[in-house]
Amino acid sequence: MPFDQLDLKRAILGDERAMRRLWSQHAPHIDAVVRRLCGDPELAADISQEVWMQIFRALPSYRGDSQFGTWAHRIAVNRTLNALRKIRRIAKLEIEIEDDSAITENDSDRTFMAESIEQAMGKLSPGARAVFVLHDIEGYTHGEIGEELGITPGGSKSQLFKARAKLRKLLAHLVDESPTVAGKGKGHVASV
Amino acid sequence: MNHQPSQERGKDMSHLSEEQLDQIIAVERSREQEPLNEWRTIAARAREEGLIRESQSSRPWSSSQPWLQAAAAILLLIGGIAIGRTTIALPSALESSATNTAAAPTPSAPPISPAANRAAATAGTASFASVDEAADALNRAVLEYQRASQYIAASNTTTRTTDSAEYYSARAAALDKIVNATESALQTAPHDPVINQYYLATMGARVATRQMVAVGSRGF
Repeated sequence: MPFDQLDLKRAILGDERAMRRLWSQHAPHIDAVVRRLCGDPELAADISQEVWMQIFRALPSYRGDSQFGTWAHRIAVNRTLNALRKIRRIAKLEIEIEDDSAITENDSDRTFMAESIEQAMGKLSPGARAVFVLHDIEGYTHGEIGEELGITPGGSKSQLFKARAKLRKLLAHLVDESPTVAGKGKGHVASV
Repeated sequence: MNHQPSQERGKDMSHLSEEQLDQIIAVERSREQEPLNEWRTIAARAREEGLIRESQSSRPWSSSQPWLQAAAAILLLIGGIAIGRTTIALPSALESSATNTAAAPTPSAPPISPAANRAAATAGTASFASVDEAADALNRAVLEYQRASQYIAASNTTTRTTDSAEYYSARAAALDKIVNATESALQTAPHDPVINQYYLATMGARVATRQMVAVGSRGF
């Protein structure tokens, strides 16, 4: 059943059933962005709890100017990035950007083949992963990413370029190999 | 470090094209994922912080406690029958049922109909296989009660007295207040079964009473 204004009022008043309905409807998407940004399922589960607490705390301030999912999604991204900063995972981002390097693994990792894009994203540096997730999966603009991460739009573009280059390499084995496919890039993408 | 054969394969593997990567991203974007936590974990945190209020989440008519719903339903059915008998100035069904087992009906009161007896007997002895079955029976009973109340109000003229107009007007006013109160409660708890049932029963009684008032105004 869709979450409506009446449910929202009831959730604000502390009605558990209304809150659960809200969570059931939006958790798959909200938790997905948390998981992708973290790259670590256990950490993501902890941060997701914080995210949901923040969403429930902030419910009275939701004015309905945007879709509820959009509003909650924004909280999830902010809260997750803040949490990552706190544990100093994002702290490396500024250094990496200044170093102009999105790839942190050593040479032996160059031959690593990811079994899924989720696994491949885990091989990106936290900063490059954040830019990639926000831009390519969540649809943020480089300007918005710059505001979220405290970098310039140019820095965001640069990180995205490097992140995609690494992912193309890590996921190359997922494409059926044939001279035509490898050469022209129109091969069949296997189920990921 | 991954030492699987895939590493070996990767040594002479080329890159994906941008389009192929976009395809994979599109699949990932639409991939359904399970929530990271169970609701009870989130709820426990919310409860700790006072975001979940017990008074809101543990009401006795909560759908998680079907036996209370069933009890409320039985209470409502008995109450509805009693109100119905009072509405048409007959002895209560339960009282009549008890009386009928010991003695014949008094001359001052009409005999209890077989249907009323069946309803009273059902209230005492009914057994249901499930809460859903009981709820269906309750809904049918409420509708039946409403129809019967309206029919009797329109047809029964045998028990009216000269002060009936004032009597029914007072009752109509009281029922108006109950309807307003239950309507207001439904704004907050639209799915609550007890409030819904009272609302429906009161609406039925109000319609019947208004018909009596209308008849009375034309001269009892």
